Amino acid sequence: MIGPSSKMPRDPLSVLPMLRDQVRRLERPAATAHGVLPFGAAAIDRALPGGGLARGALHEVLGAGGDGEDGALAAAFVAGILARLVTAVDGIVLWCLARPDLHGAGLAACGLDPARLVLVRTARDSELLWAMEEGLRTSGVAAVVGEVGAFPAVASRRLQLAAERSGVTAFVLRRWCNGGQAARERNLPNAAATRWQIAALPSRPVTRFREGGDSRAGSGIGHPCWRVELLRCRGGEPAGWDVEVREGKMVDATDIVSLAEALADRPMAPGGGDTSPPEAIRRVG
Amino acid sequence: MPLADALSFLPGLATVAAEPAKDAAALLRLAEWCDRYSPWTAPDGIDGIKIEVTGCAHLWGGEDALAADLIARLDRQGVTGRVAVADTLGAAWAFARFSQTGERPVVVWPGKTRAGLAPLPVEALRLDPATAQGLRRVGLKRVGDLYAMPRDAVTRRFGEAAARRLDQAYGDLPEPLSPLAETPARRIRLSFAEPIADPADLALATGRLAEDLVARLVLEGLGARRLVLAFHRVDGRVERIVLGTARPSRDPNHLAALFKGRLDTVDPGLGVEDMILAAFAVEPLGPEQIGFAGASINPHPHPFHSLPRERRRVGEGAKEGTSGNVAALLDRLGNRLGLAALLRLEARESHIPERASVRVPAALPSPPLLRSGPSRALRERGVQAPTVTLPDQRGREGEAAGWVRGQWGGERLIGRDGGKPPRPVRLFEPPEPVEAAWLLPDDPPFRFTWRRRAYRVRRADGPERIAEEWWQPDESGVVDAIRDYYRVEDEEGRRLWLFRAGLPGGGHPLCWYVHGIFG
Repeated sequence: MIGPSSKMPRDPLSVLPMLRDQVRRLERPAATAHGVLPFGAAAIDRALPGGGLARGALHEVLGAGGDGEDGALAAAFVAGILARLVTAVDGIVLWCLARPDLHGAGLAACGLDPARLVLVRTARDSELLWAMEEGLRTSGVAAVVGEVGAFPAVASRRLQLAAERSGVTAFVLRRWCNGGQAARERNLPNAAATRWQIAALPSRPVTRFREGGDSRAGSGIGHPCWRVELLRCRGGEPAGWDVEVREGKMVDATDIVSLAEALADRPMAPGGGDTSPPEAIRRVG
Repeated sequence: MPLADALSFLPGLATVAAEPAKDAAALLRLAEWCDRYSPWTAPDGIDGIKIEVTGCAHLWGGEDALAADLIARLDRQGVTGRVAVADTLGAAWAFARFSQTGERPVVVWPGKTRAGLAPLPVEALRLDPATAQGLRRVGLKRVGDLYAMPRDAVTRRFGEAAARRLDQAYGDLPEPLSPLAETPARRIRLSFAEPIADPADLALATGRLAEDLVARLVLEGLGARRLVLAFHRVDGRVERIVLGTARPSRDPNHLAALFKGRLDTVDPGLGVEDMILAAFAVEPLGPEQIGFAGASINPHPHPFHSLPRERRRVGEGAKEGTSGNVAALLDRLGNRLGLAALLRLEARESHIPERASVRVPAALPSPPLLRSGPSRALRERGVQAPTVTLPDQRGREGEAAGWVRGQWGGERLIGRDGGKPPRPVRLFEPPEPVEAAWLLPDDPPFRFTWRRRAYRVRRADGPERIAEEWWQPDESGVVDAIRDYYRVEDEEGRRLWLFRAGLPGGGHPLCWYVHGIFG
């Protein structure tokens, strides 16, 4: 019996999100098959498919400018993500690098317990990628991080497939020793699910208090500020945010990245605290 | 006689230049090949090999069969030799060189040594030619004659060497054999009727050897940490694969997989006739408790050996797409990259930054480190995971300098460990020198040059004084006496950790360094 198709809702506009979701699932069935890790910051989570960073996928993080050599911003960004990931997932974090200059106290300041880390020090890029792939295929590993310079697309495809198959999240920090090589290879495409670029921003002046109780605007360094750009995202659009990294007073470490209230208008006023509402975040791109 | 004289007698004499080094190397290789009979082998002089076969002979069906096998295999390699088996090294040496049995191997049972040695000439006692000639001159031509003499007379007249050799030959003085290589704790040998060269066959044989060795280790409750797989080729050469594991292992699949990964480095030549798997470092390893379905309750399972063969497949109980557990991963990484390449970060109680966080080899056994709490299964049943506590970094705070600019007050800008300013994510070892310009003695620099780039400092925090730890011994580090640390931020927002080494106002120039970069 063919009756009226009552399954379709009358309103065509509400059909669209449903169809979009179906198409997305058909297009890429394994994209968010292992779940997502939300950043805890609504503006960033909205831009990512699934509402957070896809687990079981390969993510690439670049440091802008001079950070391409040292990789400190990228490492801090990844450490913040891992800090939340390891509370949800059992296992070690395998960090593969060529130059062992990670500082445990610095990672602890980002919220990541250095005891969960196993460092793998390699001499060659090929060994590093091999170690990452081995780590992705092991149960008992929560995440794999690798610091590579040259990242061929074939290798990235292998890592992405291995991550999808096992559900272990992989991060690649791009780090070069040579500025010319960095400039050449920075924009080459690869198969990572998301590509992030972190640049440093001057921090906001923080109100300091002296013992006498009178407040005085000091010129000390405030919370670190970053410009986080999502250059490429599978299933999403590029976007950028200015964020301030602040450890909340709460013990809950999921709020490691909070959006600053007053970065919307720059340059910074030397008088301290503005009163603009928190939604005034300038979305770039 | 000189070569010229010999040639004059026989012009067609074939001559070959002597190469003592190559001969010695060949003898060494032959001694290594004799490893298939017993691990206690060593070259003896320039033309002999000594092998200790106590307790090994039954594997060949007796000493006669062993000697016959040795002769046959040497013959196949083109080496003619004489073999003697006796209960002392000296007696065996004597029988091998001086007994009158021709090419047949000589086996002298314990108790018959004395009677067998007596008719041999005195040169059979490994004496130097002068002593032997002296003995002959006084009429002691046979070993038996020498034995009948009073011992102290012999010592007085011919030196203690003669008496020592005599005692060693008769077994009154022990003479240990120092083997070529370290002797293994456990050893399994697999001999093939026909030499094999196919990689698939070698892999199969590796698996079989691993299982047999594990069976033995299980009986004794041990795990192996260092293993050597030796391939004895038909042409007498021995190829080896050496393996180390991060933890004592008793998992046949894991060990076989580690060996198979390196099989392509072995050249089987014309064929391999023996494979010997030796375990060198063994440590006690308790049994693992398995769950009902065969998977282990331990989140890092070790298959318990009593499972039937078909169940002992890799990945049983593991997730789809994964193979093995973290210990196996560390073994695989360590065997390809070297066990020194796997490191962990450990906190130390020190306020000197490069000592506060040290890298230690990850291969040290500490299972709780790889687990953050009860496994997922237990947690689902309501067992709470303990909160992750960061290592306690209660070093002594450096004393604050006089002035305050940007004090750490107000909001807590500090890491989770209370009281200390934040530390950088990247730390340079050693710190990189910079050229800095500053106004007042205690000020942070307003401009500095680092890696040939100029930076203008916009904001700074500090100083934080870190002095040397006087309670540490002097040679324990490269700490300058006093360091004043500043966090500086330049116009673009790069945040660096600078320090000034040395006190202002002293006679020597002050040096500035970059120690780390903040995220």
